[in-house]
Amino acid sequence: MARLLDVQNLKTRFFTQNGVVHAVNDVSFHVNAQETVGIVGESGSGKSITMLSAMRLIPSPPGKIVGGEVMFQGRDLLKLSVREMRSLRGNRLSMIFQDPMTSLNPVLRVEKQMTEAIQLHLGMARSEAKARAVELLEQVGIPGARDRIRNYPHQFSGGMRQRVMIAMGLACNPDLLIADEPTTALDVTIHAQIVEIVKQLKEERGMAVIWITHDLSLLAGLADRILVMYAGQIVEQAPLHALYHHPRHPYTIGLLQSILRLDEQRQEHLKSIDGLPPSLVNYPQGCPFAPRCEFAIAKCHSEDPPLEPVGVNHQVACWVKPEGADILQASQSATA
Amino acid sequence: MTRYFIKRLLGGLFTIWITTIAVTLLIHLVPGDPVQIMYAQSQSTTPEQIEQIRRNLGLDRPIYEQYIMYMGRVLQGDFGTTIRGNQPVLDLLLVRLPNTLLLAVTSLIITMVVGVTAGFFAAYKRGTWIDTTLMTGAIVGISVPSFWLGLMLISIFSVRLGWFPVSGTNLNNLVLPALTLGLANAASVSRLTRSSMLDVLSQDYMRTARAKGLAETLVLSRHAFRNGMINVVNMLGLQFTYMMGGAIVVENVFAWNGIGRLAIQSIFQRDYPTIQGFILIFATVVVIVSIVLDLLYAWIDPRITYN
Repeated sequence: MARLLDVQNLKTRFFTQNGVVHAVNDVSFHVNAQETVGIVGESGSGKSITMLSAMRLIPSPPGKIVGGEVMFQGRDLLKLSVREMRSLRGNRLSMIFQDPMTSLNPVLRVEKQMTEAIQLHLGMARSEAKARAVELLEQVGIPGARDRIRNYPHQFSGGMRQRVMIAMGLACNPDLLIADEPTTALDVTIHAQIVEIVKQLKEERGMAVIWITHDLSLLAGLADRILVMYAGQIVEQAPLHALYHHPRHPYTIGLLQSILRLDEQRQEHLKSIDGLPPSLVNYPQGCPFAPRCEFAIAKCHSEDPPLEPVGVNHQVACWVKPEGADILQASQSATA
Repeated sequence: MTRYFIKRLLGGLFTIWITTIAVTLLIHLVPGDPVQIMYAQSQSTTPEQIEQIRRNLGLDRPIYEQYIMYMGRVLQGDFGTTIRGNQPVLDLLLVRLPNTLLLAVTSLIITMVVGVTAGFFAAYKRGTWIDTTLMTGAIVGISVPSFWLGLMLISIFSVRLGWFPVSGTNLNNLVLPALTLGLANAASVSRLTRSSMLDVLSQDYMRTARAKGLAETLVLSRHAFRNGMINVVNMLGLQFTYMMGGAIVVENVFAWNGIGRLAIQSIFQRDYPTIQGFILIFATVVVIVSIVLDLLYAWIDPRITYN
């Protein structure tokens, strides 16, 4: 299948007063056309910064992309001129953000915020662009879109605002939609709705989606493939089923063990991963997960493991590569 | 909206009323009275004659009686006559009010243009030499007293270069006093604009705007500017009041024939009706401006509704 996005050895640093933050460290992955890829990791794991780097939207200074390439439809985004990059943003690849409360401009009507990108990229007249915007709002399920488009963001609920964000992201029929934790700031009851809308629109339009989240369970019915990030690195990537049932990285296993499942009776506390992610200023030697890892051996503390294939489209960066299937089985039968 | 407006108007009237009481008390606290000052130099006026004049003016009555009589006349539109010269106070004030308003509004425009531009660029170029230079300038601007700045401008542009007349009241003379008043206030506006813009520039919606592929100029003008102006407009009301107050000093430095200059003269002469009339007009202008700015504030920030 054709690679739509191919990121190779991406490195992003933040040069702050407290030192250099190693936010993204040699990240390589790809996204095929029409594929949905989930990026999972806890806060500060570099998942958002990776995609913001690809969009060239990291605040600079202090942020800087110091290496790698981001091939999108055969062109390296990092080498494009500012003008060329702008013509792709919001057009061929677009991004929607975590908090719809703060990501929409409070003093502009939804109409203006939607039509400005449509007019810019599709060269439509104002009335045409408005008609398209109304249509998009209807597609994301905003009732009375024709009237609501005249409203300001504060006149919408959180869920409705995220729908507006999605409609904005889809305005120019992008080939790739990057969704940066679009459900995190919303009520749990809304999560499924937002996921459904994106899934449905993805099917209709045949675009690729990168869904960034810290919630592994959210990706269950959504992603084709999942990347797990830790301390600015990809530690495991695998197709959905393989990752859920045969994880090989201790961190992925830990994440799966910490998911609350409705189909099991649980007497014990939910298992959590002890410790905190490493400081990205004083980047640790060896595997960044080693200090928290129950499987760590001596080598883990001195050498950083490379991503190695362990199955079809399945790669893991670990010296030990424990069999996750057995561990998950054991912990499940222990709680049952 | 209408109810809010009526409430604001009533509140404004109340403010003006309190001001009249305060000023009546204050002017009577100042030692000396108009008649004594008027006849201080003349040896021929006997104490009996002075008493007679005071009685004619009603100055022998208790303050509260004087106040009630004064307010009674004001409510009928009669602001009284000046003690010296016997001219109608209201006419005197209304002839000069446009001069003061012209000066204040011109200064305000200078303040906004200079202050907002400087603050905007300082924020956009944060941490660079542009930011440092502009903000150092702002601190100097805040620290320099307006009468000194006025005198410096006169000595450079009027005396040395001869570009503008030293003093007087016509459009040609407007430039220097308006600059004096405008630049001093531009300094504080630029600092507020800078901090307000810095806040806006770090907001999530700025990233959204860039993610749409908008050009940087559009991101700044459409998405940043209006949000950054919310705080500045909020401060404008206060600024305009400063302008009106500052006008009193500047009008005297430049002999600009506004109500501020008249006020100073009347205070020296203890011309009670003129002082009272001045404060009344001044307070009314301030109240009107603050109501207008409230409306402007709601227009610029749609999240504000008055109910």
